[in-house]
Amino acid sequence: MEQQNRLELLKEILLAEEKDITQSLVDKVDKLAHTLNEPTELAQKVDPLVDTKINNLVKEMPKTLSPVITEALKTEIKNSQDAVVEALFPIIGKMIKKYISHEIKVLNDKVNDQLQNMFTFENIMKRFFGRKPKGTDIINAATSPSLIQVMVIEKETGLLIANHAPDPNDGIDEDLVAGMLTAIKSFVEDAFKGGDQELETLAYELYTLHIQNFYNYYIVAVVSGVYTIMTKDKLEDLLLEFADKGVSKKELQDNELFTNKLKLFFSDQTI
Amino acid sequence: MIKLSKKIALVGSFGVGKTSLFRRFIDNEFSTDYKSTLGVQIQKKVITMDNGTELTMILWDTEGHENISEGRSSYLLGSHAFVYVFDITRVDTYKDINDQLVFLKKHYPKAIIKVVGNKLDAVSKKKVVETLQENKVNYDYLTSAKTGEYVEELFADIAVDLTT
Repeated sequence: MEQQNRLELLKEILLAEEKDITQSLVDKVDKLAHTLNEPTELAQKVDPLVDTKINNLVKEMPKTLSPVITEALKTEIKNSQDAVVEALFPIIGKMIKKYISHEIKVLNDKVNDQLQNMFTFENIMKRFFGRKPKGTDIINAATSPSLIQVMVIEKETGLLIANHAPDPNDGIDEDLVAGMLTAIKSFVEDAFKGGDQELETLAYELYTLHIQNFYNYYIVAVVSGVYTIMTKDKLEDLLLEFADKGVSKKELQDNELFTNKLKLFFSDQTI
Repeated sequence: MIKLSKKIALVGSFGVGKTSLFRRFIDNEFSTDYKSTLGVQIQKKVITMDNGTELTMILWDTEGHENISEGRSSYLLGSHAFVYVFDITRVDTYKDINDQLVFLKKHYPKAIIKVVGNKLDAVSKKKVVETLQENKVNYDYLTSAKTGEYVEELFADIAVDLTT
């Protein structure tokens, strides 16, 4: 028993230092475990490091990723030019068209205002005493609408009664155009169920088809250039005058006679 | 020279061969194309008659409807002639034909009407004639848009009727 006590004593003396080290390690492990398991304490330790890393990444990202993304986009656009144009064309086209059309209308209205002002006493006097023509005269001449074709079409059948084109286009068959216009007109009028309302205009890029309806027939005037409300009014007056003076029952049944009358009446292309 | 223009409308159920007849007559081609969403296709053919009259036939090939009244009536307005086409291999395309003809005669009393059984190439003529007699179907022509059989004769007949 005494021997046993001595061994224990010897053990304590020899291992005293290791015991302190072990205890110190246990304390540190406990503290680390506590830090890991407590989110607030872990956050205090980790957050600054993560923030630093993120800040560095954000700073470096444009330098490292930008060339890669730019190159990838360039390659993709180059390889799919048709698709890109297809996607962008309608948007850009519409924007440009809308802008130009708006600007031309504004210009046209200004020109019309100025033209009206030209006939004031002051302006007439200026012109009388040798003043050169105004720039608006030239602009107006350039943008004025011109009559490309006039067609008289029987309403129900869609048959062409008379046709006049100052510069005939060999590419189109007027009989088929008359039929298809009648079909389109009927289709639109039926589709929108507008009661007695009838289709009055069709716009096609630079051309406007002015449609004037009468009881048995309708007249289509194909106009090139800017089609404004003023143009519409003038055309309506012109076509009403033609219908009033030019169209008789006999002429409606004689295509040749009617066509000659149409040519004579619309010999001047300007509206 | 006398020049005339006449409107001829092709009517009948879907898939009876109206467009094929139309193409056979206009271009002398067989086609199974379908028309656009507008529901009509227009073509013309100019024929010089024996008496010297130049006839412009404007053909309106309308989309198929079992019942003509279901179609767009504005496409039929003013027609000088109708070609009512049915498929001789499909009873459903001619079972109500007499009602359809009554409708056409009532609404377009001045128009010439030709009743045509198409797809003669698909069955024997003798059998078809028997079947049509059993079903009390009166027709003017049995045609084949595929081979062109009796197509020219049909439109030549219409042309004569329109100019006399």
